[in-house]
Amino acid sequence: MQLGEPGRMQAAINITPLVDVVLVLLIIFMVMAPQMMRKGPDVALPETTKPREQGDERSRILVSIDGDGGLWIDEQAVESERFAESLRAAVGDEPDPKVVIRGDSRLHFREIRQAMLAVEQAGFHGVGLIARRAGAGGD
Amino acid sequence: MQLDNGASLQSEINVTPLVDVVLVLLIIFMVVVPLLLEGYDVGMPKASDAPGPPPAEESQLVLSIGPTSCPVLVRPAGGGLPADCHVALADRLIPVADLPARMAEHLGGRPVDQHVLFVAADDRMNYEVILRIVDLARSGVDDVRIEFLTAD
Repeated sequence: MQLGEPGRMQAAINITPLVDVVLVLLIIFMVMAPQMMRKGPDVALPETTKPREQGDERSRILVSIDGDGGLWIDEQAVESERFAESLRAAVGDEPDPKVVIRGDSRLHFREIRQAMLAVEQAGFHGVGLIARRAGAGGD
Repeated sequence: MQLDNGASLQSEINVTPLVDVVLVLLIIFMVVVPLLLEGYDVGMPKASDAPGPPPAEESQLVLSIGPTSCPVLVRPAGGGLPADCHVALADRLIPVADLPARMAEHLGGRPVDQHVLFVAADDRMNYEVILRIVDLARSGVDDVRIEFLTAD
């Protein structure tokens, strides 16, 4: 760009800010897409004071138990008789599958215990019981 | 910007790209954080067709939570646990508030690989109450492994 002659104007449109904005929008939508496809039903998670980190929900197999005791694997409602089968299908060929249980806080322990039992019968050892940090916002 | 005299240089740092990058990072973290799960790693009850749980030996610490000593069958309003809730730790009935101290007493002197708490919870108990009690028990000692025993 030579500005030696004062009379000459810059002819090309500066597209750098435009590219910036477009890239930001692209990144926002890339990140939002999985959020919009949030797995599973709405569950009122139990609130405790010091739950531990259980990783990203996208890398876990989510077993949800809604307030009526209905079982879900990821975003799919499943019959309790077909639970083990559906769980194996959800695992597929993942090398190190981890199962977490999102149980509704209004449930009795019976439903949770039965779900843990079913998860064990499907061949898993150890499960994460998902809670919500008391006082935290969100769902 | 006046470039008529060639000797004058632009003296301010352009912060616009920096602000761009920081804003993008802010947005990414705002969106990713709610996707993180929090909870408790627990062992599972034995399958009902397998032989029952191993007998509680001297060294095994068993926490029993039942509706007779801790009558919370529906989700309690608000946080915390009712003061009249008692649990049995190693066959001794204690108020639930004493749980962290008693846990430290029982497991504090042991090597970390023996930090195991067996939890026998009654089916009729509210799930959230069970998790809150487990949370309390874990707060007393580092790295406790939680194993749920079957009730039936």
